[in-house]
Amino acid sequence: MLSNVDRPRAALFVTCMVDTLYPHVGKAAQQLLEYYGASVVIPEAQTCCGQPAFNAGYRNEARKVARHFLDVFWPAVQKGDVEAIVAPSGSCVAMVRVFYDVLFSDKADELDAQRARDLQPVTYELTQYLVDVLGVEQTAARFSGKLTYHPCCHLLRELHVDEQPRRLLSGSKGLESVTLPGADDCCGFGGLFAVKNAELSTAMGRRKVANVEASGADAVVMNDVSCMTHINGLLERGGHSCRAIHIAEVLTARQGKDHGKSVSR
Amino acid sequence: MSNRTTEARAEILDRLSRVLDKASPLFRGTSDLRMPEIPMTVTRSEGDSRDLARLFASKLAATGGSCEIARQQAEVSERILERMRTWKADGVDAGEILSWAPRELPIPGIEDDLERVGISLFVPDDLQDEPVRMRAASAVVGLTSAAAAFASTGSVVLTSAPGKSRAASLLPLHHLVLLPTSRLYPTFEAWLKELRRGNRLGDLWRSNAQIVFVTGPSKSADIELSLTLGVHGPRVVHTILFDDNP
Amino acid sequence: MTVDVNAPYRQRVSQALQDDSLRTALDRATARLSERRAEAVAAIDSARLRDEARAIRQSAIEDLPRLLEQLESNLIGNGCAVHWARDAAEATSIVLEIARRNEVLHVVKSKSMVTEEIGLNEALEENGIEVVETDLGEYIIQLANEPPSHIIAPVIHKRVEDISELFHRELGMPPTDDPAEMCGAARGILRAEFLRADIGISGCNFAIAETGTICVITNEGNGRMVTSMPRVYVAVAGIEKVVSTAEEAILLWQAASRNATGQDVSVYFSMSSGPRHPGHADGPEEMHVVLLDNGRSRMLERAYGDAALCIRCGACINVCPVYREIGGHAYGRTPYNGPIGAVITPLLADDPTTVRDLPFASSLCGACRDVCPVKIDLPRLLLDLRSDMTTQGASPKLERMAIRAYARSMERPACYRLLQRLARLVGQLPLRLPFMKDWTRTRDLPPLASKSFLETWGEE
Repeated sequence: MLSNVDRPRAALFVTCMVDTLYPHVGKAAQQLLEYYGASVVIPEAQTCCGQPAFNAGYRNEARKVARHFLDVFWPAVQKGDVEAIVAPSGSCVAMVRVFYDVLFSDKADELDAQRARDLQPVTYELTQYLVDVLGVEQTAARFSGKLTYHPCCHLLRELHVDEQPRRLLSGSKGLESVTLPGADDCCGFGGLFAVKNAELSTAMGRRKVANVEASGADAVVMNDVSCMTHINGLLERGGHSCRAIHIAEVLTARQGKDHGKSVSR
Repeated sequence: MSNRTTEARAEILDRLSRVLDKASPLFRGTSDLRMPEIPMTVTRSEGDSRDLARLFASKLAATGGSCEIARQQAEVSERILERMRTWKADGVDAGEILSWAPRELPIPGIEDDLERVGISLFVPDDLQDEPVRMRAASAVVGLTSAAAAFASTGSVVLTSAPGKSRAASLLPLHHLVLLPTSRLYPTFEAWLKELRRGNRLGDLWRSNAQIVFVTGPSKSADIELSLTLGVHGPRVVHTILFDDNP
Repeated sequence: MTVDVNAPYRQRVSQALQDDSLRTALDRATARLSERRAEAVAAIDSARLRDEARAIRQSAIEDLPRLLEQLESNLIGNGCAVHWARDAAEATSIVLEIARRNEVLHVVKSKSMVTEEIGLNEALEENGIEVVETDLGEYIIQLANEPPSHIIAPVIHKRVEDISELFHRELGMPPTDDPAEMCGAARGILRAEFLRADIGISGCNFAIAETGTICVITNEGNGRMVTSMPRVYVAVAGIEKVVSTAEEAILLWQAASRNATGQDVSVYFSMSSGPRHPGHADGPEEMHVVLLDNGRSRMLERAYGDAALCIRCGACINVCPVYREIGGHAYGRTPYNGPIGAVITPLLADDPTTVRDLPFASSLCGACRDVCPVKIDLPRLLLDLRSDMTTQGASPKLERMAIRAYARSMERPACYRLLQRLARLVGQLPLRLPFMKDWTRTRDLPPLASKSFLETWGEE
């Protein structure tokens, strides 16, 4: 498969939310990439992809942030220092792969549009990279308790990545999965929607929480910490014992400790 | 056309022409799709005329209608009488059937056959005439044929002409359709293709004040999505399909 | 009705979210409609149908002026009168004029969103003309004095009990839990209306340019009644409804039927090309078609042609997680709700800032785009509308400031790191920011990590 000499080099785009709130998710992502054969670089000047501003309708501001992203990651790809950019987030990768074209559609932004186009084919969500590029089919992760998987909307419908995370979960013998009712339903985070339409976002999230409870799972796994923050926020406030965990942490779980201790804190 | 609407017309067409002249993209999503030469055939239908007849019957039944298949034209009259007897037993007493003119029905002599059992055909001449309208509205059975029918959906085509009232298939609760298999097509698209090839499509539409595709009995699911038949149109649609090609 | 369509957006949403029986009704109905749609669509080559439907609609929009002229010419050749209206006021005054000339007192209508859009019923009633809605769902909401809450199922928000109570109150009908009984009562009442009405008014699902034809989809038969029984028939058609050929209309009809209710086809597809001919027993003596702009040409001018492709099937509404929580009335005084409504309502509004909340009433999950039979990228349109709103200055000041601050920090790593450290110093995320309260009212917040990932593991 991969020779030791030939390790693919990936730049880790950790994303602003993981960086600020869930550094252990970033660490788990790095560990997974290295364990399965990639050599990881972590450009220190990285910040954010620009999605919060873009989703809220502020394209000038989004462009500023996106340009910085391109400034950080494009040279490494262009020079051949790395072959891929990997992020533990479906929505951030979708921002680069799908929405940077929209953001830089004006003729005046052609150079940025070209840089974006250069990066798009090599920008991956974590599980997408693990399965499609590194060829991972299972892990030695062990988790005590039942897991259920929630597909985040951008991952599912913008990137069409769904089989990969499911395969990693079902293929890992130490993990027990149960089906999530209404899995494809949006959790209600939606970026600024979560605060601009807080009541509505909460109603949608409570429906997701009810489904998670109904599944009988001890933890709900997902690929985006944005959804995770929203769902966990409701699980905790609602006094539920179940928690939402990022898939990187599940896939690196070893000891099978109680989930409350090993998850993203 | 009034001055105002002429003005409106000019402004609207002008605006539209200017937008399209600009040649800047109108669409933000997928735009590189090719127009089909002929639109696809949406539903599936295959087999010989017997298969088509059976498919038609089963599709119509699935919508809540019903269909019987007569082997030959000579049987049909008796089947109509039998149907009227069955309905009468169910309390549907059709002393007078609201009907298309006998010349528009594909069963010669049907008027006399019905007369013999005390059922008359009422062929309205003008529903704007109050007494005619009231008489038509009191009918419980309507009798028509159809210009064409489609096996893949159980649909029939009703066209309008003197002697072919719209009311006959619309006002009464029971609608009886006499359908020769020569008019049964596999799908809508097959019929349209034939019309188009024969250069008859445009004329058929333009010369018919109204063409209706009817598929089964009238229905509504507006109240909590629970299905009720016979809302404004017929509740019972019964087709007698017969082979007119011995 | 618990949701006041005239109240501000936030209030409407709140009212809807507090109405448990509304949410139960919405849940059941949208789930069932989505299931039926999924079955109907799985039974055919739906990928191909979507491509063809989109291509047909697109090419019609690209050829709009020529097709409209062809439509008009054929309609006139068939004996119709064709009128053009730039806006709602012109359209209603055209219909009023037709009504006046014919000394009309009673109107029957089949379900038509475009006539709701222009406020036709109010305009007629203000002039002493009685208007009766004949689609069962529309009849019910007319009795209840409410607007429709779904473009296909106008009374989706009411349960059997609600309708029974309404019939009891307005029609003196004894209470019942049997929908068939209520339908039967409505049938009797509306049958009399069909037979005595002077004018029938319908909308238009598709207009066929090649033949000069107005197509109306119904399941109940009221579309046939309205277009056949009264002496005068008026069809109101948005200019974007035109297609070139009968084959195209019939393809779109099948796409609409499957996606709207899961039927292979609707029970009736009425194609009216002109008034009755000499010797015909029935049919209108006069047929009028009102071609309505009311913001559609402006939609195209602003390059929102995708929104004009819509064939009004409602599939997007039935899969929308937002609609399922709040229903149609929460979208305000508009007949168009759900995802397509959140796009079309601002585009057709004279002043889009009056409906500025609508493009933001979405989490952009994309479920709508997956089901649209003409492949409209609704999330993309919503994003574009949001951008338009902020460019036009229709955004809250505090929010704008926060976004600017965010952008400024994210542009400069040093700034970004500093902000993270400051936040940690303060001990928590800046809870005093107004939008933070919106979060914490119902949800816990995670603590800030004591050190960021990049601080711990980042490298040059």
